[in-house]
Amino acid sequence: MLPIVSITLFLPLLGALLVMTLRKAPVQVVHTIGIVTSGLTLVGAIWMWSRGVNETGFAQLEQIDWMPAIGAAYRVGVDGISLPLVLLSALLFFVTFIYSAKVRERPHAYVVLMLLLETAAIGAFTALDAILFYVFFEISLVSMYFMIAGWGHEDRQRAALMFFIYTLLGSLPLLLAILGLYLGSDPHTFDMRVWIENPPLSGTAAMLALVAMLFTFAVKTPVFPFHTWLPAAHVQAPAAGSVILAGVMLKFGTYGLVRFAFQMTPDAFRDAGIVILVFGVVAALYGAFAALAQSDLKRLIAYTSVNHMGYIIVGVAIAALALDPAVRATALDGSVLQMVSHGLVTGALFFLVGMLQDRAHTREMDEFGGLLKVVPILGWCFVLAAFASLGLPGLAHFPAEFQIFLATLRVEPVAIIVILGIVITAGLYLRAIGKVFLGEPREQWAGMADLNTREVLALGPLLILIILVGIAPAWVLDVIHKTTAALQF
Amino acid sequence: MNLITVAILAPLSTAVLILLLRRLPATLALLGIAIGLLASIGLLANAFNGITNEIILPGLPDLPLRLVATPLTALLSTLVAVVCNLVMIYAVGYMKLDGEKLRFFATLLLFAAAMQTLVLAGDWILLLAAWELIGLSSYLLIGFWYRRPGVTSAATRAFLYTRSADLGLYIAVFILIASAGSSDIATTLNTGGGTAVVAGLLLLVAAMGKSAQTPLHDWLQRAMAGPTPVSALLHSATLVAAGAILLIRTAPMLPPDTLLVIGIVGGITTVVTGLIALGERDLKRLLAASTSSQYGLMLVAVGAGVPLAALLHLIAHAAIKSSLFLGAGVFQHSRDGTAFTQLEGAGRDQPHCFFGFALAALALAGIPPLSGFFSKDAIIAASLASPNALMLTTFALAGTLLTGAYMARALHILWRGNSQKHDIVGLGWMGAGLAGLVTLAVILGAAFPSLETLLNESLSGNTLAQVLGLSAALSGLTLGWFIPMQRLLGPLLPWAQRGFAIAGGVDTWVVRPAFAIARSCEQLERGLYAAVLGVGRLGLGIGRAVRYSDERGIDGLIFSLVRGTVELGSRARALQSGLIHREMAITVVGTALILATLLVALLI
Repeated sequence: MLPIVSITLFLPLLGALLVMTLRKAPVQVVHTIGIVTSGLTLVGAIWMWSRGVNETGFAQLEQIDWMPAIGAAYRVGVDGISLPLVLLSALLFFVTFIYSAKVRERPHAYVVLMLLLETAAIGAFTALDAILFYVFFEISLVSMYFMIAGWGHEDRQRAALMFFIYTLLGSLPLLLAILGLYLGSDPHTFDMRVWIENPPLSGTAAMLALVAMLFTFAVKTPVFPFHTWLPAAHVQAPAAGSVILAGVMLKFGTYGLVRFAFQMTPDAFRDAGIVILVFGVVAALYGAFAALAQSDLKRLIAYTSVNHMGYIIVGVAIAALALDPAVRATALDGSVLQMVSHGLVTGALFFLVGMLQDRAHTREMDEFGGLLKVVPILGWCFVLAAFASLGLPGLAHFPAEFQIFLATLRVEPVAIIVILGIVITAGLYLRAIGKVFLGEPREQWAGMADLNTREVLALGPLLILIILVGIAPAWVLDVIHKTTAALQF
Repeated sequence: MNLITVAILAPLSTAVLILLLRRLPATLALLGIAIGLLASIGLLANAFNGITNEIILPGLPDLPLRLVATPLTALLSTLVAVVCNLVMIYAVGYMKLDGEKLRFFATLLLFAAAMQTLVLAGDWILLLAAWELIGLSSYLLIGFWYRRPGVTSAATRAFLYTRSADLGLYIAVFILIASAGSSDIATTLNTGGGTAVVAGLLLLVAAMGKSAQTPLHDWLQRAMAGPTPVSALLHSATLVAAGAILLIRTAPMLPPDTLLVIGIVGGITTVVTGLIALGERDLKRLLAASTSSQYGLMLVAVGAGVPLAALLHLIAHAAIKSSLFLGAGVFQHSRDGTAFTQLEGAGRDQPHCFFGFALAALALAGIPPLSGFFSKDAIIAASLASPNALMLTTFALAGTLLTGAYMARALHILWRGNSQKHDIVGLGWMGAGLAGLVTLAVILGAAFPSLETLLNESLSGNTLAQVLGLSAALSGLTLGWFIPMQRLLGPLLPWAQRGFAIAGGVDTWVVRPAFAIARSCEQLERGLYAAVLGVGRLGLGIGRAVRYSDERGIDGLIFSLVRGTVELGSRARALQSGLIHREMAITVVGTALILATLLVALLI
């Protein structure tokens, strides 16, 4: 059988190598390579999707010995938690390459970095070996640093440095936890499947490992009060970088939370469940309120990410606290679907703000007004994405948040206070729509051009999927549910 | 294909078709909405024959979506479809000169589809989804003329008020699903005990938002910023009706305590918003306040334990109120506005429309044999028979009296003054829609007995209720026609004109605190950011200090370090003796040291 996971994983890397060898190639060729490579990667991801997942454990396993002496190997595979994220990443990179076809500033380096980032992302989601995971996790960090530093806005250097230091310091504890898990396993191995099947640590050691992992993933997700790098990085990152950062890289945090913290130190996680829940609730509400105070559209969306990711933390904590397996499955279904929905919706929103900024060179919402009349396609796309983000039924966030809230009420009724977030986000998005798109159009924007074909092609797939996931979530949830329903905890 | 699918998909697919074809919006809209009506009538006919249609769709894991056409839901579906059709016919004329017909008709159709889904929903998730989607489509419709000043804030306010109250529905749905283990509405209605009390109160909160009950009544009057057909639709059988429909459908589950609260909320609303209507200076805003007041009466009926009376009033009110709005729309086109100062004598411009408007007004006041008489009578009879008869009957009669007063006042203003002749574009279509609805407002009362048979329930007649209701209506009409509003309201006038908002209303109590929290979050945010940067600067400072000491006289240190390293190397060499037993011993000692350290760390 064709090793389709590995092919999908390393295709972008091959593309990157190709671009590196073609140093003299004209810009269009470079971008074409980027689009084609990520397109093929997307095909690979869809192929993986068609192969599906198993009832229990991981599917589509591919394994090669790497460092047998220490029990590290190249192991990849997927389950219902990782497969949707692989598909999401492949899609987001593909549309980002389409959107980025306008980049004229060092296009070679740009495409190479993005392709490297794509391999890192898919690698992190498919790796079943802790060392491998850590490697991809760190590579993504480096690529994103250069992305922000090289193609960002005014204050990019400082933001890039902040991003790098923050998440690098954040990932060191993960390394310690991985070593702890390795030393705890018998025989020693870095095989994540073994760690999941028989959690190697218990008692204090497990709790220490959990705290270390939680720290890493809290920085990455990000959770209040470790989130300050996020708005800074988003505001300075180019639109494409923001899309990848929010759509794919934030998911490393929540994916790691489920895959490592939840699955490898389950007992400790349950003991700490209430604390994690409180962090999730605070993050969700804090993110919503902080977003309400913003006037810069990009910062606003960045803060709503804190809010949406907070719901995921709540969902995972509730899953750990739930005694009934059915409720646990509901909470996890919601959390994993929320990762996918957030990728689609926030990706679309960052694109839209990027497109607005390309035209107006500002993101301050008070400087706009009446744009719906001037750029109707852009305006309606924004309205659709904003309503998706505020959790309107029929759009992607609703089924995810519904499941998270439903499980929350059943397990910890007090925590349902987190639902206030959906009113606050509704308020802030309607305010943004009102200020930017409604009212009488301003003179200065009269000549603004509506979306062109490239932009429509980049946005279209995301918007269509937002509706598809919203109306018929079953096609994603079936895959997720297959794994979460059989989860041993 | 199942009729339920047609009832929902006909308007929805027409909306999509209009947006794709970008032509013939009015024709397509009429066609789509008419097909939907036929399907609804088919469902109702099935219901009369005892056939229940049902569709089960895949939804969330273990929680499938359901659509059911029971007698009650089929009846509501038909009501929605009929009103949508007549309003749509009217809208063809009303929107004749508007430049954005595509958007208007597509949104109106989306709205109709969402409302059909809401009434036909058989499970809570679908109901919740449709509930929020009518919130969205009403936002789009109220904000239709988004370039005009004030429109954006009206639309935003409508969505936010209802969404805040929707949290009640969200939590109620979670509670019901959690306790019943199923999202099927019929199953969850068996819930009892404390759960039912809590869930019932939460449902009431949601209904108060949608049906604009006090203290959440303020958004409805502002929603007048939308085109008149939209107001007619939102106020009659759709958006606002959703709240009452929710309570009517869940009434079998509601325990007495909850019912009492519902009755009180409805009673207060009917009086408060009735007074607001009496003090209004604008015809459409008067009608809007009156809507809240009438829905208050329906809640009184639910609270009295007779949801059927509420349902009949909902049906009668749907026809009446949409007639009134459509009439108001004609006067609006005739005088370019709906303020009473502009409308003096407007009734004389269009005597036919005024006749229809007056019939509807009398029907709303409860004059026999018009439809409103029968439904109001049912409500008053229900209050008389309830355990809290004194209170509920007082509320119901006060509401009836006020209805007569404000409608008479409106009629008086429209008839007094001089006529001005204006040509109105699209009057034919508008008149047709209006005529259809007024006819319904007049004759619907005759259909009530057969509806009672359909729903397998009956209302007991009560002569006392008829006498009380009629005298309240007549005295209201007399007062409103002959005595100026200023004298009727007296000291209440400034309150009524401010919408009875306590100390600034929701803005003071909710919006400002929310922004205050947001601002303090932003403060904290800046603080955190500065702290992180501070840590960064500290790092840089240390770096600089190191470099400083580096550049001065550190060379010596380096050299000594080098010497030290060489020395250490030679000592280490001594360890590497090549003697196996010695090296083993060193290994053992070293491992023991590491283990001991780990142990100590763990113990501490």
